[in-house]
Amino acid sequence: MSAHTENKEFIYLTPMPVRIWHWINALGIVTLCITGIQIRFPEYVNIFGSYKAAIRLHNTAGITVSIFYAIWLGYYLVVKGNLFKLYVPNTYDIKMGIFRQVLFYFYHFFKGGPSPHHATPDDKFNPMQKVAYMGLMLALMPLVIVSGILILNVAPLRELIILIGGLKILVSAHFLIACCFFAFLFVHVYLATMGHTMLAHFKPMWDGWEEVNHH
Amino acid sequence: MFTLRSAALALSVLAIFPMAALSAEKPEDACLGCHGDRNISGKSGSHVYIDPAQYTRTTHAVIGCTSCHESVSASHPDDGIRPSRATCKECHGPVQKEYAASLHANNAGCADCHNPHSVKPPVSVSGKEMNAMCSRCHETAKMVKVHAKWLPQADLHIDAIPCITCHTGSQNYVITMYIEKRLGTKPGSDFKVANYDELSQTLPGDKDVKSLIDTNGDNYISLAELRTFNRDAKHDNLRLWGMMTPEKVTHTYQILDNRWDCTFCHASGPKAMQTSFVSFPGKDGSFTRVAVEKGAILDILYGTPDFYMMGSTRSTALSIVGGLIICGGMAFAGIHGTLRFLTRNNRKEH
Repeated sequence: MSAHTENKEFIYLTPMPVRIWHWINALGIVTLCITGIQIRFPEYVNIFGSYKAAIRLHNTAGITVSIFYAIWLGYYLVVKGNLFKLYVPNTYDIKMGIFRQVLFYFYHFFKGGPSPHHATPDDKFNPMQKVAYMGLMLALMPLVIVSGILILNVAPLRELIILIGGLKILVSAHFLIACCFFAFLFVHVYLATMGHTMLAHFKPMWDGWEEVNHH
Repeated sequence: MFTLRSAALALSVLAIFPMAALSAEKPEDACLGCHGDRNISGKSGSHVYIDPAQYTRTTHAVIGCTSCHESVSASHPDDGIRPSRATCKECHGPVQKEYAASLHANNAGCADCHNPHSVKPPVSVSGKEMNAMCSRCHETAKMVKVHAKWLPQADLHIDAIPCITCHTGSQNYVITMYIEKRLGTKPGSDFKVANYDELSQTLPGDKDVKSLIDTNGDNYISLAELRTFNRDAKHDNLRLWGMMTPEKVTHTYQILDNRWDCTFCHASGPKAMQTSFVSFPGKDGSFTRVAVEKGAILDILYGTPDFYMMGSTRSTALSIVGGLIICGGMAFAGIHGTLRFLTRNNRKEH
């Protein structure tokens, strides 16, 4: 779907369910990161009044993100049916696309060159984004959710925890994956400012429409 | 100078002499001759049977039977007189006074929790045994339900903390680990604290159960020994179960305000979590602690794989790795953003 206004062309890039999911997910992950800091370093950080408040908020945000992840997965797998097309790099991406995109971000961009990828509803992500989002959404997110559910139910799920090597390994994995999401927040927000204007990529995640940049 | 302390010392020495004389005669041998026989239970009730193995380990055995049952006569039991019993406060005055002021005093007497013929010091009792004692009145399932109203993962907390850690004014907490064995061989069956016989079965010959972990026999457990045990333990269906136990135990049973605050334990920081022990069962059922290398409780992987206290037992090394990952994300944005700003003129025509 595309539209033209005042000599500008727009494409409907982000459907409403995805936008709702994105912002709930964003709020959830930011909450999880901040509460997570207090949970790990309670003697230095007290943002939410009490340790219990931080834990309850962390648990609530974690469950919310988990439920919405399941909805997101169902939406792309069943309703849209294009999860793998959007998120898994194709042969071209592996052979050439990723390299070209890395070269753009770390070299051609500074020289003033154009991006080798233009987003369309069926090809929203550039090869680098595909790799990053595939790792985050199809590997790290399920891992952080499963480890979180296990940590939330240590006594009843003890046998599963023993099976994966014990509580220490579980908590360590949960923490390190969470750090990856925390790091991703900075990278994600920064890269979102790299549209043809600083806010060009933020707009479609708010109202769905992105202005097509013909440069 | 004759001070109060030297007076107390002199009195203690004087007190030891008759005790020594008593133990030389060993009057308890005569008592245990009948009372140490299980068949005595059938005659006048189970309470008159005294387990000799358990009794001889108590400090009460040092002062002997007649110190508390002083009216017992030479013709006992034919005289038909029920021997007198000393009250606990005669010797344990300060403890009794402390306990009498607590909420618990109206509901249980000393002997309800401490059988004077088998009483052991707190370090000789496992944390699970302490809780089993409490659960005789305070049923575990009910306690989990009551605590779950405000305490996240109440079942886990009650499993890993003796009740007295929170419900007395006890102080100076350490992590004490017990060897647990799976009930049965099926995966998924419950674990329980292993007794001496169960552990000695896993060892060749008559090796001491301590050698299961303290392999070099120096009565000290290094991190390497702990890791080796944890790596191999699963083959024998064993595991280490850590509990937070108090070093200084009081009888001030109460609900302390600061115990409602999770930070009381969880914000104590890794520095407070340096001291730990492994407590081994003995043949007589009492436990003996062996000190573990400092910091073992914070080891990321195999030190204490099943013990983690959120916030307090975090690994500093892991925190640094996590911090570096986050810094990596920030650095990418910062460095790329700086280069982007410096090269902004190159993109002006676009």
